Amino acid sequence: MKAYVRAATLFTLMSLPALAHHGWSEYDATKPLTVTGKVLESGYEHPHGHIRIEAPGKTWHVVLAPPSRMENRGLAPAAIQKGQTVTVVGYANREKAEEMRAERITAGGKTVELR
Amino acid sequence: MNPAGSIEALAVAKAMRENLWLYPAVEIVHILGFVLLVGSVVMFDLRVLGLSKQVSVRALARHLLPWSFAALVLIVPTGMLMFAAHAGDFISNRAFQVKMALLVAAGLNMVAFHTGPYQGVASWDTRASAPAWARVSVALSIAIWVAMIACGRLLAYL
Repeated sequence: MKAYVRAATLFTLMSLPALAHHGWSEYDATKPLTVTGKVLESGYEHPHGHIRIEAPGKTWHVVLAPPSRMENRGLAPAAIQKGQTVTVVGYANREKAEEMRAERITAGGKTVELR
Repeated sequence: MNPAGSIEALAVAKAMRENLWLYPAVEIVHILGFVLLVGSVVMFDLRVLGLSKQVSVRALARHLLPWSFAALVLIVPTGMLMFAAHAGDFISNRAFQVKMALLVAAGLNMVAFHTGPYQGVASWDTRASAPAWARVSVALSIAIWVAMIACGRLLAYL
């Protein structure tokens, strides 16, 4: 019995990193940012869609949601195509100064939650 | 184009990125596969470590190990599909590099176990302790597989 308890404890401890499933802890959620800009590049792709937008003074790489979710919530690929102007609300990456992940996006006249 | 770029340019890699449900479906099959693989391997390893000694090691091996191998049919192709979608990112990702090294280590450890201590299994099949080198090998196996799962998950964070 003792051996089973030891084994179970070991597994629990070793699997702790797996519990962090998409906690997005690498983004600083204490400082929400609102950025508006023109889309320079976009990918409606797995595992996460992404856009590069040109905001005043800075170009951001913005991580969006999986395309299946974006489609589900009514954010069509055309709305984030190159040349569109979009507004994202999100959080900056703690290490990559150019990167943020979007909590929501306003594109094509409509605001879509991405989480 | 570099090799990673030419993998990403494959039609199947493009489909993985752009098809709405292919990527998650492939992930599900990959998870199902490694649940089966790691589950069966770890159950065997725990037996060799000395748990449930009334169960015959050879009978357990006959029951579990074919499932471990069958699981590879689910895991390997799906892993390759996910790799293809973002080959360049994977290759440069430290968690992926460690994961692949662990995969090789797991394979070598398995070969060492089956060509080494397992050859003498008749003498420790039931109600007996496995030799120390068998126990070291299976303990290593558990550690490697747990670490491999951790690396797989950490891929998304590094």
